[in-house]
Amino acid sequence: MDPEFYGLPPAASTFAEDVDPLFEFLWIVCGFFFLLILAILAYSVVRYRRKRLEQPAASNVTHHTTLEIVWTLIPTVILMVVFAWGWKGNLKQSVAPPDALRYDVQAFQWGWSIYHPGAIRGSKDIWVPAGKPVQFVMTSPDVLHSMSIPAFRAKRDVVPGSRQILWFQATEDMVGESFRYYCTEYCGQGHSVMNGMVHVVSQAIYDTQPWAQVPEDPIEAGEYFYNTYGCSACHSSNGVAGSGPTFQNIWMREGKLSNGENYVADEAYIKNSVRNPDSQIVAGYPTGLMPKTWGDESGMPEADLDIIIGWMKSISEDN
Amino acid sequence: MTATAPGVETTTEPQRKEPSYLEVKKGIGSWLGTLDHKRIGLMYLFGVTGAFAIGGLLALAIRIILWDTNLDLQQDAEFLNMYNQVFTLHGVFMVFLFIIPAIPGSLANFALPLMVGAPDVALPRLNLASFYLWMIGAVLAVVAIIQGGVDTGWTFYTPYSLQSKDGTVLMGTAIFILGFSSIFTGLNFIVTMHKLRARGQTWFKMPLFCWAIYATSVLQVLATPVLGITVLLLAFEHLYGIGVFDPKLGGDPVLFQHFFWFYSHPAVYIMILPAMGVISDVISVHARKPLFGYKLIAFSSISIAVISFLVWGHHMFTSGQSEYVMMAFSFLTMLVAIPTAIKVFSWVATIWGGSVALSAPMLYALAFIVIFTIGGLTGVFLGALSVDIHLHDTYFVVAHFHAVMMGSTAIAFFAGVHHWWPKMFGVMYHEGLAKIAAILILVGFNVTFLPQFYMGSQGMPRRYATYDPQFEIYHRWSTVGAGILGAGFALMLGYLGYSLLTRKIPAKHNQWGGVTMDWTGPTPPNLYNFDEPPVVTERLYDYSKLQKQLEEEAAQKSAGTQA
Repeated sequence: MDPEFYGLPPAASTFAEDVDPLFEFLWIVCGFFFLLILAILAYSVVRYRRKRLEQPAASNVTHHTTLEIVWTLIPTVILMVVFAWGWKGNLKQSVAPPDALRYDVQAFQWGWSIYHPGAIRGSKDIWVPAGKPVQFVMTSPDVLHSMSIPAFRAKRDVVPGSRQILWFQATEDMVGESFRYYCTEYCGQGHSVMNGMVHVVSQAIYDTQPWAQVPEDPIEAGEYFYNTYGCSACHSSNGVAGSGPTFQNIWMREGKLSNGENYVADEAYIKNSVRNPDSQIVAGYPTGLMPKTWGDESGMPEADLDIIIGWMKSISEDN
Repeated sequence: MTATAPGVETTTEPQRKEPSYLEVKKGIGSWLGTLDHKRIGLMYLFGVTGAFAIGGLLALAIRIILWDTNLDLQQDAEFLNMYNQVFTLHGVFMVFLFIIPAIPGSLANFALPLMVGAPDVALPRLNLASFYLWMIGAVLAVVAIIQGGVDTGWTFYTPYSLQSKDGTVLMGTAIFILGFSSIFTGLNFIVTMHKLRARGQTWFKMPLFCWAIYATSVLQVLATPVLGITVLLLAFEHLYGIGVFDPKLGGDPVLFQHFFWFYSHPAVYIMILPAMGVISDVISVHARKPLFGYKLIAFSSISIAVISFLVWGHHMFTSGQSEYVMMAFSFLTMLVAIPTAIKVFSWVATIWGGSVALSAPMLYALAFIVIFTIGGLTGVFLGALSVDIHLHDTYFVVAHFHAVMMGSTAIAFFAGVHHWWPKMFGVMYHEGLAKIAAILILVGFNVTFLPQFYMGSQGMPRRYATYDPQFEIYHRWSTVGAGILGAGFALMLGYLGYSLLTRKIPAKHNQWGGVTMDWTGPTPPNLYNFDEPPVVTERLYDYSKLQKQLEEEAAQKSAGTQA
């Protein structure tokens, strides 16, 4: 039966061939026993319903050893099958093949930086070649996160202080399809914003490095970076107060810092705020929240930062 | 509305020699300082019901917020924080202030000493202390809310819970204190069952509710200290920067999860075992039949208690444990399903061939069996390793544990409340309304949570304030269901409150025809329960004598009408 019949998302990775049949088996077996219990219950209630107060019980059997042994053994056997089946699938999920392509993944509050092999900057969207094993080597600078790609039946927590590996292999027939990925370990305010798209592509498209393609127009490029670096999780572009100040009219904005000094959001101030997040906090916002992910060239090249600032000017009135 | 409720009336009713425990002393002081297990039980009953009402309103708030995808509010810090605080408070109230203390604190406090023929629990002062600790914990939790900012989820996972939030330490303190309340209750019941059983009541003549509470109490006494230690370490780390769980200080965040679930998984059984006990006794009385496979049920309670200590790792299947550790935890998780299945089969077999009264408590018990079966079977999905990886931290898990916690424990609690209500207060509620409420709750539960199973299978993550448009239809059904559930519970609180305030329908002495000792004394009971210490000579759940009386009286009545 089609896995989607049982509520599963499309089967887009090789794990689905282990997970989906077990899921289907569980539905059939559990569905059967659920309906059986329901039917016996309904029959008993109707058949033995007390119509007169003094109506005696039809039976006073208090136990039946054979029956009790049978209904202990049947679930035991089924459960052992389910256990072994689930374990077998999990062994495959646990061990990445040695030739898997390595992606470095950083999860932070609140976004993802995916470094595709050879990439100079992280991206939010993910491109994977169909039919090739891929492994994410995942770290977090702040709190727990979890990488979940339902269509791949793949999930792994990202634990600060350690490296976590998630691997999968998208199937060939899914070329051209895109799927959602999510953060599934609660991580605070922006938890539900921490998601993006995984694109399954052919080797030919993969070789064009779609993750490195930036719009040519500098303003569009700035907006692209604003989204792909993850700024948008905390800084709106339309005036809404997020966990960081909005970028609307940010250029040359004046105000007070948390230490009481005045600031003007010029180029030097904006760059310092990206590179050293906690050094000049606008009054009313917490320290320690913005990650230091973009603290140096490897996190965000200076040229990209300039382009973002150019875009900031474009959404400010007195640019 | 009839003047008297239909019920069991026999000529051998005990005559009241002294005023009931409700009338023997009056005034607010006689309640606040009482050592009577029944009054403490009632205070718990009102307390936990209040916590349930607040937690329920928060649940409705969650469902109303999720009516829309909220995608336009993705960057609105105020909205996101509000949602995160609402679901955290819902969890904290429901878990720590309602589900854990609900049945042991109220129903077991009221009924267990009666069931073992004792004048009170073994340690009445400790019992009162337990209630006051619960009160202090509840007040601190409310203060923590007012202080604001608790948005960690009820699990308080590190390092997020260590990021500075004013209310978190206070909330931890509240949970620490609530833990001791739970330990005191458990300790009290263990001693009571060992020392105060009536003469002639051997262990295997204890009703199954007692067995379930015994297993629960052992868990409370052994597991809760681990929660206390964990919260204490969390507080030290938060206040003094000692690195235990925070990787920035050299700690390990997964260690917290191990500590937390080493308590909280047994705690799941602290929540469900008493519910199983309530249902066992309710079914026996309302089907007027001895429980099928009594010993197997008793032993299954104990084996659940033992195995439940060894399955905590299944909460961490995605956090990077060794594959062999995962194998062991998955295997043990499957084992715990076996005694659970046995219980369901035994309940069904008890109803089979019974004299099944479709009374209000029985309808709640039947709703319990249906939803508990859903909760148990979906638990098997989550125990299977490869499938769990897909379902972990999705709405499938949310729906699964709500089936067990809300659909089972809360409904069993209310089944017990309806069952012992006439015994507690000497009055009956309007049974017709009670049946309507039971049906509303059963329907409402399924409309709320079946769509959640579906969208969880699709991959919809938990604890999301905003979500993809493809899930909107399921979220909307779920919200409609929550509305039906809310209507059912509001109706219930309405008719129960009405029955108490107006006292219009006096209860029968033995409203349902129970034969365990909680139904033998006067209604409501005396201050010390029994006029003389009872002696147990009959078999447990022996309905033959009651049956004979009922038949004789029916014969007399029909003879009377003929004459």
